[in-house]
Amino acid sequence: MNINTPRLRTNSSSKKWRTNLQLGAGLVAVSFLAASCSGGPTGSSGSTESGAGAAKPASSITSIDYFTDATSSAAFQKVLSTCATKTGIKINRQSLPLKELLPKVLQGASSGTMPNLAFVDNVNVQQLAQTGALTPISNYGFDLSGFAPGIVAATTLNGKNYGVSPAINTLALFYNKDMFAAAGLKPPTTWDELKTDAAALKTPNRYGLALSAPASEEGTWQFLPFFWSNGGDLTNLTSPKSVEALSFITSLVKDGSMSQSVVNWAQADVADQFIAGNTAMMINGPWNISKIDKSGKVKYGIVPIPAPKAGATLTVPLGGEVGVIPVSGGSTQAAAAKVLKCMTDNDQMLQWAMGNTRIAPRDTTAKQEIVKLPVLAPFAETVRTSRARTTGLGLKYPVISQALWTAIQSALTGTETPEAALKTAQTTVDSSAK
Amino acid sequence: MTVRELDTYDATDLRKGARRRTNSRNRWIHTVVGTVIVAFLLFPLYWMINASFQQSGALLSPHPSFLPSPVTLDGYKATLTTQGGNLRSSIIISLGTVLITLVLSTPAAYALAKLKVPRSTTLMFVVITVQMVPGIVMANALYVVFARLGLIDSYVGLMFADATTAVPFAILIMRAFMQDIPSELIEAAKIDGAGEIGVFRHIVIPVSRNVIITAGLFAFLHGWSDFLFAVTLTTGSVFTPVTVGIYRFMGAQTADWNGVMATATIASIPAVFLLILAQKYISAGITGGAVKE
Amino acid sequence: MIMRDKTVQARAGRPTPPRTRWRRRRYLVALGFILPAALYIVVFFGYPLVYNLAMSFQDYTPRSFYTGEAPFVGLDNYRKILSSPIFQPAVLHTIVFTVGSIVFQFGIGLALAVYFNRRFPLSNLLRAMLLLPWLLPLIVSSAIWRWMFDKDFGVINYFIRLLPGVDTGAPWLTNGKWALAAVVIANIWIGIPFNMVILYGGLQGIAETIYEAAKLDGASAWQCFRYMTWPLLKPVTLVVLMLGLVYTIKVFDVIMGLTGGGPANQTQTLTTWSYQYSFSLFQFGPGAAVSSLLALVAAIIALFYLRSLRRSSDGS
Repeated sequence: MNINTPRLRTNSSSKKWRTNLQLGAGLVAVSFLAASCSGGPTGSSGSTESGAGAAKPASSITSIDYFTDATSSAAFQKVLSTCATKTGIKINRQSLPLKELLPKVLQGASSGTMPNLAFVDNVNVQQLAQTGALTPISNYGFDLSGFAPGIVAATTLNGKNYGVSPAINTLALFYNKDMFAAAGLKPPTTWDELKTDAAALKTPNRYGLALSAPASEEGTWQFLPFFWSNGGDLTNLTSPKSVEALSFITSLVKDGSMSQSVVNWAQADVADQFIAGNTAMMINGPWNISKIDKSGKVKYGIVPIPAPKAGATLTVPLGGEVGVIPVSGGSTQAAAAKVLKCMTDNDQMLQWAMGNTRIAPRDTTAKQEIVKLPVLAPFAETVRTSRARTTGLGLKYPVISQALWTAIQSALTGTETPEAALKTAQTTVDSSAK
Repeated sequence: MTVRELDTYDATDLRKGARRRTNSRNRWIHTVVGTVIVAFLLFPLYWMINASFQQSGALLSPHPSFLPSPVTLDGYKATLTTQGGNLRSSIIISLGTVLITLVLSTPAAYALAKLKVPRSTTLMFVVITVQMVPGIVMANALYVVFARLGLIDSYVGLMFADATTAVPFAILIMRAFMQDIPSELIEAAKIDGAGEIGVFRHIVIPVSRNVIITAGLFAFLHGWSDFLFAVTLTTGSVFTPVTVGIYRFMGAQTADWNGVMATATIASIPAVFLLILAQKYISAGITGGAVKE
Repeated sequence: MIMRDKTVQARAGRPTPPRTRWRRRRYLVALGFILPAALYIVVFFGYPLVYNLAMSFQDYTPRSFYTGEAPFVGLDNYRKILSSPIFQPAVLHTIVFTVGSIVFQFGIGLALAVYFNRRFPLSNLLRAMLLLPWLLPLIVSSAIWRWMFDKDFGVINYFIRLLPGVDTGAPWLTNGKWALAAVVIANIWIGIPFNMVILYGGLQGIAETIYEAAKLDGASAWQCFRYMTWPLLKPVTLVVLMLGLVYTIKVFDVIMGLTGGGPANQTQTLTTWSYQYSFSLFQFGPGAAVSSLLALVAAIIALFYLRSLRRSSDGS
């Protein structure tokens, strides 16, 4: 039984068009209203060069970092707490995964809620500085003498320095002492030795070498010691030296000494492989030391990454976090600077570098660290001459890096020859140039 | 039938929603086959539990141990001592998401299904297409608004944010089911003097119990497993949902997988209980059927 | 509304004020039912949608987040992505990924729903357990699958190598085609519960009696399914497929967790590509352009779905 009155069918299609348009316009209007009420620069103190040093420091600041795992987080918290007590400034800390850090900083930028102190990956400093959101550290009178030149270069844009690093790191070669002893080998110092050692150490149950080559910054980062030491240049990916470096790595996969699965392994996975005894050597960083020690499964040694030839200079990439001070107003900026100064003074820098098994950027502090933690010596030696990835490239680096990690994957999986892969990479970079 | 009688409308007459009977001998065979199927499909879960009892990376080996050996309880120790509060937060957020989703979606779904809403097709179109906004874009936009409104680190704020993944889905699915509610039921109730709201309360909701619970289930899962909004809209100083808390075991270059897997395993437990509970309700359903006599 | 009523009046030749009032109240009630959800959607989705669309026409860089300045560049971003050598592969991968996922998610989900529609001991528990894949945080599921698919040390190849006559495992994540298969398989696994639960709910709504009648006539199980269950499930099937399409196109975490879009862009889909543009290259304009294209695809799917709804409602 239908108790409704019959509905008249009006000319529905044109009416529908009109009403849809009205609805759409209404939606857009509401949204723009909402949009205009947010976003855009908030009236920050405007000038980035105001007499920030003259302002009285605020009593509390917000800080953000990416040290989420239990060990690093505890070590970082210790330094923060010490500095909070020393400076009398309360620190509200937030830590999130590295991948979420930059989006969070950008969200903060667009809503005027940037943290007062942020610890970002050194690769991102120039990008952030270019936005205008960071204050130059010259405002606050930091003394960077004795800092590794690489980290100073990484944080410099247009002649101004935008951050201070509490700890840096780089890559080295870890090797399994028992496996080497059993094979009667000594750790390699040149590429040829690396190749023969890796081949000799390969058995049906394990590989000779493992490094990390995923589709991310880690892939580029792990390849750079080979790339740069051979004379490769990030602005010219197709140069013979560049191709040589990629060919070398590819040959390790081709002759079976390195697993093709490295294209799926993050550095954490490579470390797990090494600890499990699935690989005799690995290229990795100092953050693994406590993990390997705790597992108690591997007697390991660390040596610098082999250079292309005997006597050639080894150039390794610079890694590490940088403390930056976004624009937030004179008093909070001054407070953040005070905290950052405390964190990068000799004692706190030593404390943090040791607690997190990274290297102190200041040479005098690093020397003290090596005395206490000699296992870090290979890293400390090479990191002094390490090169920052963004040096001279600034905002172009992300495109180049992505092209390069794609080329590495392409070559390692045999999709293209190293030469062709790098050609593709260079084409990608060139076509991206605005 | 009066409205009261409809309230206690019993399904057994029509035997709709009853499940296929199988004779006793076959029943146990089905149990065995069913278990094998489930075991096969859930192998990755077993792998996760396996990993939670072993050292990080132990499963990546030419001869993986199918039974954890040696057994490590480190992950569980760490999880139980640190993630308890996070689990509680996640449950609160998930239940809140369910509430918000159902309160918003159920009437809307009914309206779109049965009431003559103007421009309903346009609304349906909007409901479907808004789901295509990438999560990160939503997170960016919501952060800006929430920051302005001071809703960062608020349980309710996060519930509303998580509901964005559940509401469109709930509307669509409940509408699809509610369309099949026989008009006779509704007309009969109206004849007895029930208003629209009365019909909704006494007919539509009981009859749609299945699909409401299904929608609630999905809302719960969205709230439970959400990471993006959780990490964007909280600072960790008030509460931390377990999806973010899991990063206690993951650093920028390191990962303690057995801790991660232990957290995931333990986090599954309360959710599994709720799933089993919900399944009971879905299976004992009343009409929602597509059959017109 | 009022216009219609007046015309009705004119036709009927007598005034109908109570009906008008009644109609208006019904209209307001319907509005009341739908307003909370509509408001919610406008507030929570309207801004991000417009924001994203606007971004696709701008040169949006990290600087824009801070200064709010983002010069309008018209269709440049769209031109850029359409002419990129990654565009076609990304589209192809998206199609393969989506179709592959949906066909098997739906098929397996349906088979499971039908199978577990019977009553036997433990069926409730087993059915609840089948929801577990959906429960896990994606970071965990993608890690598990990544381990399982590892070419040398993964358990899947371990089983494959156990097969007689098989020497090496499959190059799951290191070969382009196999990597795509791997992400599809992982995604199928994650998506089965979704399909199963909804289809199961649909099956629940089909009366037992019709099967008994058919059995008396000698219909086989397959015939029951094909001629009775399947057509009756059509509305549910449509909504599941449509939603499945929309959700699968959006899949991001699984692919990123398993392959990161690699090796060498061979599992790059439109969604992962969009994310890479925005957060690896910091070019938010092209990133927004890609996701706006996806929204367009979803809009087209939505139109098809709505048209099919109208057709079926006209039919009955």
